[in-house]
Amino acid sequence: MTGKGIRIEGLKKRYGRGDTAVDALKGVDMQVAPGEVVGLVGPSGSGKSTLLKCLGAVIEPTAGRMILGDEVIYKDGWKVKDLRALRRDRIGFIFQAPYLIPFLDVTDNVALLPMLAGKPNHEARKQAIELLQSLDVEHRAKAMPSQLSGGEQQRVAIARGLVNRPPVILADEPTAPLDSERALAVIQILNEMARKFETAIIVVTHDEKIMPTFKRIYHIRDGVTYEEAGEGRGFE
Amino acid sequence: MKRFPVQKQTLAIMVVLLPLLALFIYVSLRSGPLAPIPVTVTRVENQSIAPALFGIGTVEARYSYKIGPTVAGRVKRLNVHVGDLVKAGQVLGEMDPIDLDQRIRSQEAALKRSRAQVDEALARQNYAQTQARRYEELLAARSTSEEIVTGKKHELRVAETNLDAAREESVRVRAERDALIVQRRNLLLVAPVDGLVVLRNAEPGTTLVAGQAVVELLDPQSLWINVRFDQIHAQGLNANLAARIVMRTQAAELTGRVLRVEPLADAVTEEILAKVVFEKIPDPLPAVGELVEVTVALPALAAAPVVPNAAIQRISGQLGVWQVVGDDLHFTPVILGAADLDGHIQIREGLKAGDQVVVYSAKALTLRSRIDVVEQIPGVPR
Amino acid sequence: MISLAGRDIMHDWGKFVFTGVGLGLLIGVTLSMAGIYRGMVDDGKALLDNSRADLWVVQQGTLGPYAESSSIYDDVWRGIRAMPGVEQTANVTYLTMQVHQGERDVRSMVTGVTAGDPGSSGWPPYLVAGRQITRGHYEAVVDIATGFKLGDRLKIRRNHYTVVGLTRRMVSSGGDPIVFIPLKDAQEVQFLKDNDAILQQRRRTAANPAFNRPQVPGLLEDVISSQSTNTYVNAVLVQVAAGYDTEEVAQSIRRWKRLTVYTRSQMEDILIGKLIATSARQIAMFLVILSIVSAAIVAFIIYTMTLGKIREIAVLKLIGTRNRTIAALIMQQSIALGVIGFVVGKITATLLMAPIFPKYVLLEPVDSAIGFVAVVVICILASIIAIRAALKVDPAEAIGG
Repeated sequence: MTGKGIRIEGLKKRYGRGDTAVDALKGVDMQVAPGEVVGLVGPSGSGKSTLLKCLGAVIEPTAGRMILGDEVIYKDGWKVKDLRALRRDRIGFIFQAPYLIPFLDVTDNVALLPMLAGKPNHEARKQAIELLQSLDVEHRAKAMPSQLSGGEQQRVAIARGLVNRPPVILADEPTAPLDSERALAVIQILNEMARKFETAIIVVTHDEKIMPTFKRIYHIRDGVTYEEAGEGRGFE
Repeated sequence: MKRFPVQKQTLAIMVVLLPLLALFIYVSLRSGPLAPIPVTVTRVENQSIAPALFGIGTVEARYSYKIGPTVAGRVKRLNVHVGDLVKAGQVLGEMDPIDLDQRIRSQEAALKRSRAQVDEALARQNYAQTQARRYEELLAARSTSEEIVTGKKHELRVAETNLDAAREESVRVRAERDALIVQRRNLLLVAPVDGLVVLRNAEPGTTLVAGQAVVELLDPQSLWINVRFDQIHAQGLNANLAARIVMRTQAAELTGRVLRVEPLADAVTEEILAKVVFEKIPDPLPAVGELVEVTVALPALAAAPVVPNAAIQRISGQLGVWQVVGDDLHFTPVILGAADLDGHIQIREGLKAGDQVVVYSAKALTLRSRIDVVEQIPGVPR
Repeated sequence: MISLAGRDIMHDWGKFVFTGVGLGLLIGVTLSMAGIYRGMVDDGKALLDNSRADLWVVQQGTLGPYAESSSIYDDVWRGIRAMPGVEQTANVTYLTMQVHQGERDVRSMVTGVTAGDPGSSGWPPYLVAGRQITRGHYEAVVDIATGFKLGDRLKIRRNHYTVVGLTRRMVSSGGDPIVFIPLKDAQEVQFLKDNDAILQQRRRTAANPAFNRPQVPGLLEDVISSQSTNTYVNAVLVQVAAGYDTEEVAQSIRRWKRLTVYTRSQMEDILIGKLIATSARQIAMFLVILSIVSAAIVAFIIYTMTLGKIREIAVLKLIGTRNRTIAALIMQQSIALGVIGFVVGKITATLLMAPIFPKYVLLEPVDSAIGFVAVVVICILASIIAIRAALKVDPAEAIGG
C-alpha cells in the first residue's frame, strides 16, 4: 500500500527483562500528515533515539501500533515481512552526518536506492540527477563525496533520502554541523520536498536556529511525547 | 553506456593492470612445458673431412739395457751417473772381486808348479829314453839281459805317460786360471752400446744377486712412443701414417710417423697399440714414461654431406637426425660415415646437401614437439 | 545494479593492488615450493631419461648406481651383450666430486661415457652448444649449470680436460650438474688416488717382503702397476632390442649373470621413493604450512578491509541493502584480491624465483590451475568470516545514540 503520512499510537519499547528492564518508550503517540515537517525534540536519554529506531523499523517495539499511510506496519509485532524493503522503499533516512558511500560518486550514491529496488541503472541515475537538480547540486554529479563541501554532502544525503519518494522521512539532526544560513536552507529544502512529494518528515533536532520553522513540535521526555504548536515561521 | 567517473583514474589502473595481464599470459604460454622448444638448425653441406685418430701414449726406449753381474756379489765402484752419455765398451763400474784375485794368483802358482812338473816329467822321460836306447844297444851287443831291456822300455813308457799326464795337468790348471781371469773380467760392467745412463740402481757396497741390474742404459736415438688407440676409433690405422705429437713438457707440437701397429692388442682395455717414432728426437731428451698425445692424420675423404656430431640422435634404437622440413619436424634415420676430430660426421645415406637439420635443442625433442628456430639457445654462455 | 565491489576496488585501487602484490609474493613462494618439488622429481627423471637406457645392470644386492655405490668389472658387458634381446650395452661410471676451473671449483657428477659414437647409451642425448666428445681422452661435455663455457680447461684429479660441448638439464638426482668425460679417464678418476696417496702405497708395497723379492726382478714393478690400474665401472646401461619384453630380458640377465638389474620404472621408484623421499616430505610440509599461512593472511586482510568499511555497511543495511548484496560485495573483493594475488604470484614464481633458485624449479600448468582454484576457494572461505562480521552489524549504529 502506498498511503502517505505516519501515525503512532501507544508505542512502547522495553529493553531487557525482569529486574534490569528499562522502559525507553512508555506510550508514545505521534502523527504526521503528508507534506508536514514536524520537529522532535528531547534531551538525551529521553528515548529519542529509540523512537527514531522504531520509526525507522530498525528495532522492534514492545507494544503499540505503527501505521504508515493506510497500512498497519506494527501491531504487537511486525505486520510487514520484508523490513528491509520497507526501509528501502517507504522510509527515507537523513543522518547527522552525510554518511555517503565513499567509493561511489554523487550520482551513484543517490541512484543506489532505486537500483536496489530493482530499477535499471540508467533510469535510477536519471531519477537521481533530477533530485540533485532540485537540490542545486547537480553540477557535482560526477564528483566523489570526499571532494564535496559539507553543505554539498548534506544536500546529496538529502537527495538520497528522497530519491525513492518514500512517504516518510526521518531526519536525525540534519542541521547540527551547519551554520544558521545553511541550516535554514536545509530546512527550506525539506519543506519544499515535503510539499512537492507529499512526504511526512520528522526532524529530530535541538538546533535553536531552526526551531522557529516548525509548525508543530513533539517534545519527548521520559519515554512520552507532548505535542506543542510551533511558530511555523517562514524563512528570512 | 556508463562512463567511468574519473577518466584519469581508469587510465592509471589500465596502465598497471593491462601489462600485468599481458605478462601473465606471456608467462603462461611461453615458459614451462607449454612453450615451444628453442632449437638451432644448420644446412647440410658437402664437405671433405680429414679424419684423424687420437691416442695417448708414453715415451719408451726401444732398446734398453740392464747391466748387472752374472753372479752374486758386491758392487765395488760405479763410474757413471744418471744422465751420462757412454760409448760402447766403456767401463761403467766394477763388482768387487772379493777373493777372486787371490784365487787367480793361486791358480797361477799352481800353473807354475804344473809347468815345473812338466819339466820334471820331461827330464825323466829323456833319461828313460836315453837309458832305453843304451840298453837296446847293449842287448844288440849281448851285454845285458832282455829282462833289463824290457824293464828299461817299461820305464820309458811310464816316463812318457807321466809326461803326458803332467802336460794335461798343466793344461787343466791353465784353463782353470783362464776361467778365473774371464770371471774377473766379467766383474767389469761394460756398456754394450752407445747410450744414456738412466738408472743407477745400487751404490758401491751393495750386495746383489745374479740378474739384478746395477745400471740401466738406453739408446737415446731409439726413443719411441707406445700409443694406445681405442679399438672402436682405430679404423684406418696403418704404418707410415704421419703423426702429430703433443708432449706435456714441450711447448711446440712435434711430428713423427707410425712405425708399426702392434699385432697384439690389449683385450682388457680394448685398445690397439702402435709405435710412433719421432721425426727428430727432441732436445732436451724427453723423459721415458712421459705422457704424450698423438694424433694420426688419415687421408682426406671425398666430399660428402656432413653434419655436426651434436645433431646425431638415437631414437627408439635408430640412429638419425631431426630434420626441419618447412615448419615440421621429421626424424630422418641415417647411416654414418667417417668422422673427424672436430665433430664433423659424414652421412653416407639419409641426407643430402641443403637439408636443414637440428643441431642444438634446449630440451629433448619428440615428434610432437613444437620448435622455435633461434640463433643461439638461450642461457648458453658466450 | 552496479558492482559495489568493483567501485570500492577502483576507489582505493592503489592499496588494493598493493595488497594483492603482497599476497601475490606469498602465493608465488608457495607456487615455487610446488615447483621445487616437481623439479626434484624431474631431476631424477631427467637422469634416467638422459641415460637412454632400458635396463641398469649393477653390483649384486645394491641399489646402485645412483642410490648406492656399485662396482662391477668393466668386461661384464661382453657377457650381457651376447644375451638375446640386448640391443646395445655401455659401461658407465658416476662420481660426485669437485671439478676445478681456474680459481673456482664446482660440485658435479663426473660421468664416464664409454668410447663410441653419439647415440650410445650414457652419452648426452642432445647438446646446446659445441660438439660431442671425439677424442678418447681429455675432452669433456659439461652442463651449463656448472657455469663453464666452451674452451674452458677443467682440472679433474690430475688431468686437464677441455670443454668441447655444453648440455642443459643434465643433472644428477641431487641436482648436481653432470660433466661427461671418456670412460677410461673416469675410471682413473674414480679409482686412482692423488699423487701423495700413490707414493704412500708404493712405499708400503716396497716394504712388503712378499712383493719385494730380489731374486725375482720385476716383481715389485708388476705389483705396483697392478695396483694402479682400475678395471671397475659402476653400471652397465642396456638398451633392449625392439620386440623384446624389458622385464624378461632383465630376468634372464639376473638369473644367468647373477647381477642386479633394474628396469626404468624400478629405477624411478628407487630414485623418487628413496633418494628424494625425505626432501619431498620436507617440501610437502612447507607447502602445507605456506598454504595455511596464505589462507590466514587472506582471511586477515579481508577481515580488516571489511572492518574498515563497517560504517558504510551499517548505512547500506539501514537504507535497505540486502544481506546478499553486502555479502557479495565482500566475497567479490576477496576473490578479486585472490586473482590479483595469483597473477602476481605466477609471474613472480616464473620470472623471479625459478631462474634464481639454485635448484631446478618446474612450474607445470596443472599446478597453476590447482593453485588458482585453491586461491579462489581460500578467498571464498576467508571472506565468510568477514561476511559473518558484516552481517552482524546493527544498522541502528548508523543512527547515532
